[in-house]
Amino acid sequence: MSRALALLALLSSFPFLALLSNAFSPENPTDRRVLVLLDDFSIKSSHSLYFNSLQTRGYDLDFKLADDPKIALQRYGQYLYDALILFSPTIDSFGGSLNAAAILEFVDAGHDLILAADASASDLIREIASECGVDFDEDVAAMVVDHTSYAVSDTEGDHTLIAGDNFIQSDVILGGEKIKAPVLFKGIGHSINPANSLVMKILSASPSAYSANPKSKLSAPPTLTGSAISLVSVVQARNNARILISGSLSMFGNRFFRSGVQKAGSTINHDKSGNEQFVTETSKWVFHERGHLKAVNVRHHKVEEAEEPSIYRINDDLEYSVEIYEWSGTSWEPYVADDVQVQFYMMSPYVLKTLSTNQKGVYYTSFKVPDVYGVFQFKVEYEKLGFTSLSLAKQIPVRPFRHNEYERFITTAFPYYGASFSMMGGFFLFSLVYLYHK
Amino acid sequence: MAKSSATKDAQALLHSLRSAYASTPTNLKIIDIYVLFAIFTAVIQVGYMAIVGSFPFNSFLSGVLSCVGTAVLAVCLRIQVNKENKEFKDLPPERAYADFVLCNLVLHLVIMNFLG
Repeated sequence: MSRALALLALLSSFPFLALLSNAFSPENPTDRRVLVLLDDFSIKSSHSLYFNSLQTRGYDLDFKLADDPKIALQRYGQYLYDALILFSPTIDSFGGSLNAAAILEFVDAGHDLILAADASASDLIREIASECGVDFDEDVAAMVVDHTSYAVSDTEGDHTLIAGDNFIQSDVILGGEKIKAPVLFKGIGHSINPANSLVMKILSASPSAYSANPKSKLSAPPTLTGSAISLVSVVQARNNARILISGSLSMFGNRFFRSGVQKAGSTINHDKSGNEQFVTETSKWVFHERGHLKAVNVRHHKVEEAEEPSIYRINDDLEYSVEIYEWSGTSWEPYVADDVQVQFYMMSPYVLKTLSTNQKGVYYTSFKVPDVYGVFQFKVEYEKLGFTSLSLAKQIPVRPFRHNEYERFITTAFPYYGASFSMMGGFFLFSLVYLYHK
Repeated sequence: MAKSSATKDAQALLHSLRSAYASTPTNLKIIDIYVLFAIFTAVIQVGYMAIVGSFPFNSFLSGVLSCVGTAVLAVCLRIQVNKENKEFKDLPPERAYADFVLCNLVLHLVIMNFLG
């Protein structure tokens, strides 16, 4: 009986093990299991194009209502999901054990988060955002209004439907293909915390935008104005967790995906807004399909030798190489750039060299060890906008010449040798003359 | 007028110095020549270093210091064997010469080690 129970337990754990093997790992850094929290299930159909694009890229989406009492991010200390999509702007408190602290812990553990707020964003959502370095406008009724870069529609409206095209200049975040049509945005604006260097605006408002309640008269100047307003921001934490925060939930929706857009003052009428391209490309970045680097096979050796020595001598010529790969979503592809640098470092860099690449992921250079001995490090500190940061350090001691390694009988020094010997000869001669004169 | 008198004074000074030096004992004159030889060699080396650069700096230092050391030791010997110097009247010149030889041996031992 007990044996049958054990067998049953073993069998039932198989799907769970299979689930774990698909999980986020350094060898396979793309998220697989995504928890989607919704205000109500109508969002699942109104945003189906977005969710479908994620599912066709292999993500396993688990839709739950945000107040579902069975929500759990982790079980037995293991996270059940690799990423979280919060499409629940109005939720006041999550169901189950989930709260803002648990979500931030989830991010601290290296997992990714997509958060969409809206005009009715709750304090909980604002709190999570502000912990990530993004401060939504405190006025609950405020929306982003722009009287010059709004999207033209049949009804004149209140100019809260914005056609945004102030994108960040980064191919790794927005994809190699340029986003031609403006992105439709209707929602609240935020400012990014200046003390937080990890958060950056990827879609900012135009200089004429401001954040205020569109239904009431402006009695005081708005607190958020111009391009200081960020519409969509991203964060890359130091543990390489990625977060996307948007002030609009509807920009992910099917209606904005399909609708055409004409920016006010422009004669070009785009058949399709830039939303689909923009949110799909940014989701690729957030889920580590782009810009996730790894460095392997750090090697160094003396020129014309193959083995790695345990110590270098001053003025040795050495060769250094490292392989850098970028995760493409399915495999590790060679990373090609011309700005990777290595430092030969002891308190400060004695040598700083830009590495050459063979376009197949191998970066290499050669240099002469400086005329200083001590404990050095080979350091690669690579931080580039949108890419995960690489920080490699390998320690290596450098010794001075041994006493029998110094050069001897240098031609230049012959006069000095001559002078020394002539002083000895002079001493001998002087002694003879001094002792035996007259 | 003033210039010619200055020249005359200088000539008179040199003449008196030369006649005073002529009365110096021969052994002191030998030491003086030896010191001049050492200083001359040192100056040549410094000039040479100014031309070719300071690369084997230890060799340069030992070359110049052997000259300077030789000159200093010779001057010390001269002070001790000078009959007119009452400070060392109890010190026999043989003893002074033995000290000089010992110091020279030590000096050249160090120079040989540092020459490279």
